[in-house]
Amino acid sequence: MANEQKNNSSNRVYIFVFFSVVLLALSLWVVWDDEFGLRPWKKYQQEFKTLKHDKLESEYRKAVVDFQRSGGHTRLAELEARLAKAEAVFQSPANQEKYKQLTTQFDDIHATAASNQKELQNARGKFLESEYYFTKTQKPEYKATMDLLQREIDAINLRRASIQKKEEAFKNALNEMTSATVNLKAEIEDMKKGLEELKEKIASNDKVAVEIKQVHIKDIDKADRCQSCHIGIDGKHQVSSLQPFTKHPASFVYLDHHDPSKFGCTFCHRGQGRATTSVEKAHGKVKHFDEPLLDGDMTQTSCLNCHGDIKGLRGAEQIGISTELIKKYGCYSCHKIPGYESIGDVGPVLTEVGSKVNYSWAVNWLLDPKKYFSTARMPKFFFTQAQAEAIADYLFSMSGTTRHDVDYANTQPNAQLVEQGKTLWSQARCNLCHTTGGRGGNHIKVYAPDLSKVGSKVNKEWLFKWLKNPNAYFPGTKMPRFRFTDQEINALVEYIVSEYKDDEAEARYVQPVEIKAASIKKGKELIQQYGCYGCHKLQGMEEMVQIAPSLKSQGVSFLRKDEMREKIGTELSSIGSKPLEMLDFGKLAKAIPNDRLSYLKQKLRDPRGFRLGLRMPDFRLSESEVNELAAVLYGFTDANVPVRFMVPSRQELDKMAGVQGYKFTGDFAKVIADVKCTNCHSIKGIGADYAPDLSIAGSKLQEKWIRKFLANPDVIRPLLQQMPKLGLTLGKPAAKVTMPKFNLGKQRVEDTNKSDVDVVVDYFQQELVTTDIPKAIPTITTMALPEQISKGKALYEFKGCRSCHQIGLDGGALGPNLSDVGNRLQPGFIFRHLENARKFKPDIVEPDYGFTERERIYLTNFLMTLKLNTK
Amino acid sequence: MKSLPEISEKVRKNLIWKSIFRRDYRNSIRDRAQAVFGNVFLHLHPVQVRESAVKLRFTWGMGGITFFAFILLVITGVVLMFYYHPSIDQAYTDIKDLEFQVPFGVILRNLHRWGAHFMVIVVMIHMFRVFMTGSYKAPRQFNWGIGVFLLVLTFLLSFTGYLTPWDQLGFWAITVGTNMGAATPLLGYQGPFSEYLHITPYNDIRFALLGGAQVGGNALLRSYIWHCVAIPLISIILMFVHFWRVRKDGGISKPQK
Amino acid sequence: MNPFIQIITQPDNIAIVIMIIMVTFFTGWAFQQAFDNDKLLAAGRPVDGENDKFIDTFKPLVRIELLIAIVVMVGLTVWSIAVDAPLEEIANPTITPNPAKAPWYFLGLQELLVYFDPWLAGVVLPSLIVVGLLAIPYIDINPKGNGYYTFAERKYAIIIFSFGFLVLWLLLIVIGVFFRGPGWLWYWPWQEWDHARVVFEPTRDLTSVIGIDSRSLPGFLIGAFVVGSYLAGGMIAPYRYWKKNNPELLSQLGMVRYITIMFLFITMMSIPIKMVLRLVFLIKYIWITPWFNV
Repeated sequence: MANEQKNNSSNRVYIFVFFSVVLLALSLWVVWDDEFGLRPWKKYQQEFKTLKHDKLESEYRKAVVDFQRSGGHTRLAELEARLAKAEAVFQSPANQEKYKQLTTQFDDIHATAASNQKELQNARGKFLESEYYFTKTQKPEYKATMDLLQREIDAINLRRASIQKKEEAFKNALNEMTSATVNLKAEIEDMKKGLEELKEKIASNDKVAVEIKQVHIKDIDKADRCQSCHIGIDGKHQVSSLQPFTKHPASFVYLDHHDPSKFGCTFCHRGQGRATTSVEKAHGKVKHFDEPLLDGDMTQTSCLNCHGDIKGLRGAEQIGISTELIKKYGCYSCHKIPGYESIGDVGPVLTEVGSKVNYSWAVNWLLDPKKYFSTARMPKFFFTQAQAEAIADYLFSMSGTTRHDVDYANTQPNAQLVEQGKTLWSQARCNLCHTTGGRGGNHIKVYAPDLSKVGSKVNKEWLFKWLKNPNAYFPGTKMPRFRFTDQEINALVEYIVSEYKDDEAEARYVQPVEIKAASIKKGKELIQQYGCYGCHKLQGMEEMVQIAPSLKSQGVSFLRKDEMREKIGTELSSIGSKPLEMLDFGKLAKAIPNDRLSYLKQKLRDPRGFRLGLRMPDFRLSESEVNELAAVLYGFTDANVPVRFMVPSRQELDKMAGVQGYKFTGDFAKVIADVKCTNCHSIKGIGADYAPDLSIAGSKLQEKWIRKFLANPDVIRPLLQQMPKLGLTLGKPAAKVTMPKFNLGKQRVEDTNKSDVDVVVDYFQQELVTTDIPKAIPTITTMALPEQISKGKALYEFKGCRSCHQIGLDGGALGPNLSDVGNRLQPGFIFRHLENARKFKPDIVEPDYGFTERERIYLTNFLMTLKLNTK
Repeated sequence: MKSLPEISEKVRKNLIWKSIFRRDYRNSIRDRAQAVFGNVFLHLHPVQVRESAVKLRFTWGMGGITFFAFILLVITGVVLMFYYHPSIDQAYTDIKDLEFQVPFGVILRNLHRWGAHFMVIVVMIHMFRVFMTGSYKAPRQFNWGIGVFLLVLTFLLSFTGYLTPWDQLGFWAITVGTNMGAATPLLGYQGPFSEYLHITPYNDIRFALLGGAQVGGNALLRSYIWHCVAIPLISIILMFVHFWRVRKDGGISKPQK
Repeated sequence: MNPFIQIITQPDNIAIVIMIIMVTFFTGWAFQQAFDNDKLLAAGRPVDGENDKFIDTFKPLVRIELLIAIVVMVGLTVWSIAVDAPLEEIANPTITPNPAKAPWYFLGLQELLVYFDPWLAGVVLPSLIVVGLLAIPYIDINPKGNGYYTFAERKYAIIIFSFGFLVLWLLLIVIGVFFRGPGWLWYWPWQEWDHARVVFEPTRDLTSVIGIDSRSLPGFLIGAFVVGSYLAGGMIAPYRYWKKNNPELLSQLGMVRYITIMFLFITMMSIPIKMVLRLVFLIKYIWITPWFNV
């Protein structure tokens, strides 16, 4: 039996061996995988080290060649020869003898000093001990001991001083003997220094450990290990432009302001910072991780996490432009978006729209705004004809009882008036903001409607009232009140109505028809359902509007405030981190990739495509607009951002500090409200950046020039901007004019008693000044003014100013024309501007030439001579 | 150069070798017996067993495999405990870092997870085998009962471990699992008759399981302690009884007619 | 077929695949040995292992234990290298995954939730399973089949246990894992999971079938009667049958044992009965009381 067992067991040895070997192999594989397979960054770091080594090596070789080329070698040889000679002198027996003697003496005196020091320490120790006992017991014998010891200490200190003197003397003597060689050695060292440093760099690079590089942000426990592969990302010098070795692009913008060791990477770039085992995992492009890597311009969406003011933020240009789209299309009207709460309505007030537009126009507009003009901002709601009519009925019933159009087909336009209106149209530069027939609308940042077909949209009476005082109809409109006379307005109205007509519309004109109560009711429901009041003001008007008794008896009422919802759309404040599970892909679940960005894009492209019953209208965004808006929405996250990273907007900061935002005061405020200077100009942080910032205009511009310019604005930068001719009054106002009161007008705008220009100039000189700009520039007494001017002129030529600036007809057109600069700018401004152009306009393109003060005086004096003779 | 037997002889004569194994092994009957009862681990076995115990076709080795899986889980589990904090702030990143940071973290976690699934499967098959061979019959009735408890404990071990990574999978598995507890008659707030005992979500059996009205930090801590301390301890004690009773009840069951 | 591969290759589901393979293999092996032994028994020959001799523990047993340990270790290592343990997003109480599934070994119980209220499916039935398992050695008084595979000698025990274990426990797990998708709706393996899918199954209560409101007193009484007669009938009918045909068996069992066996059995059989009622006749509740519904 034992035998049988043995047989059995020996048969199984092979199985044993087999499985043991398999297990061993598996274990080895596990070890290998853990060491290399799961640690791809090791390879990258090794590779990077090699690359860097090669680069430093070649730098070193180049430095050696440079050193030789510049004669460094011969100089070095020479120095070494001199060193050898000096060494020989020092090594001569006589000198050696002397040196040895001196050294012995020095050592002796040094030993004496040491024993003296020891004595001193002993005495001090005893002294402290006696002092302790004396303080404790107050026995006089301790005091006596202390005095004795104090005398001893003083004696030792005296001795020490004399010893030190002797020591010094011997040291000097010794140094004198060796100084020649020491100095030469130092000189040689100095010559070699550059090369040695490079060598050291190579050596230290080779010693860099291959390890996980991690940035840990403690307060939110974020650990970014991206730099384990992107090893050169925060380097000053580019080692290789290949991924993952390259350095961060534009690091002077991004990394210099966001130290990677404090911010990490994933704050801006997202991705899975902790992952180290594969590129897909690290970049977060895997299942169960829904914050994939952002790269390229898309990364700028992350700026929205911390920065309150995106506009004008360096490095956030793309997202800055994109955020403007939210304002343009007024997304905030229906959706809650933090930071956009206090912006006014996108659409015009509709309460009086029945007295403004033609009924047929209103219906067609509701059906498809883009049909009327392609740049219309109002989205398409996919209303049926009946629905559009119901809404139009509701709107028209607020100011009347009929559907009606105004038909001018039979009235002949007054040719003379039209001609006058045409002149006014171009003089006032209406086309600066408004497009007609595809022309105009340079100032894209002010949204102004296309007027190509406006003659068929509005009636003359309304147009007259509008031009007379736009604020009265639509408080807060961007349309300025031009200082036209009634006669001029009549002419303009005549011109507009006859010139800009929609020929197709003629055929559709409807005769007055009584509006039916049922239709109004339906319209009201639709308005409620689609939230028209998000963009258009309708509220608070119910009691002001007359409803025909017949309608009233049929139970028609208008929307009350409590019948309007706060925001009709989904809140967007954290749409960028909304869990995928909460995004309803509906019937498109299989048609588009299931990620957040694709969802947002698809929603913007086809807002009602996901399922039935959605209400969001179609803005018919271009593909690039879709991408831009999606990028912005993607950046609205609830990311956990430490407070110390936050850069609140100026507005928020002011609010926190209890500072009131800047407010225009007095007559100037009225002028601004009337003329809307801030449509284009920025003043003390208010307004747009289309035209020059006027915050320090009082210190910058000369009064005479301001007066002249405001009366008749002309071109300063030929290629860029124009200012509309607003017809501001120069002299005393002709008479106090009171605007006619519209039946809804709550606001009365009066002309100021002073002339507009006086008001502006006063305000400029009192408020818009800075102490940074001196009233006068320093003078040079040692040189005559003409000589300074000619030096300035020479400098102007020498520095090539003319490549951008024009004087007369000579020069480039990028910078402002300087032909009349002597009349326009104040010398103090020019002087300071030449010192640091960015001080007053941070994004200016003018280079910094590093002028000295004298040069700036020359140039200023020269420029102040540039005046056009005006007569 | 010495031959292999010579070296082996030398090793066996070595003082340290002798101190460990106490005696020579000459493959005599006595030696073979000594090898078993002289060894604390093998001591579990009798000196001689019936042939069937060695044949896979009878036992399928399932009990032994279960025990082996348990040992493997204890070992990997102890190492995993070094890298884990049972708090909702850290648990998830700790598991992530097992992959990204910890040496052999991936294989450790994988072995632990798959080992656990494997143990559940094997323990069920073990029960099936014991039933199919009628091995619960006298005199092994009591040991079958111990086995049933061990089966339940195995489920609970796996169940409590499910929550520890603090991910969606575990969180919702535990939520679904413990929600059933809320339906316990009398003691769960959704269960029949519970209103007569004034049971609310805040004093019912589910609250006791989770340490809260829903799965949260306390539930994580509780499941961690059950998983790492309490249930393994109870299981080990029951395993002792189980193994001891296997011996006392006569080893592997043999045909009794 | 693509969705099917997706489902079975989900990391956690690989365990189920392994379970299916292992259980099928061992069930087959068990029954094969049982039938082999049955033939031997019928021929009056000793069954496998009956004439076992004793052999030394050291080394044959120790050797095979070690070998199995190595093989198991190899298997687990391969599994661990090939498949990474799953880790989903961080726990988020506000996002409920659809479907939210319990750990796989409890999916049988979760599947029962379709047919029973949670207090039954989640508490009472699992407790009864444990109680039933514990009771097996004491209620199975058949002295035969101890220590060897056999089918012929203990047909009923094996059929009932296999039905409970293989069908009610394991098959329901497999259904829960592979055939239940979003909304706990039934998905065939070749069907893609559709989160938006809505299936409306009008369900009714037993008494509504005959037009009586199940929440009314008559409905209550009828429900109670049906449940009561199922229990009572399940208890009494076999008793009367055996009393007539096999009184010996009854007296061997004794009253306590008989009641325990029958209670456990009819409880177990209530599961497939209720499943059929629910799936085929769309009946949700049989008996509605103010405190619980059955």
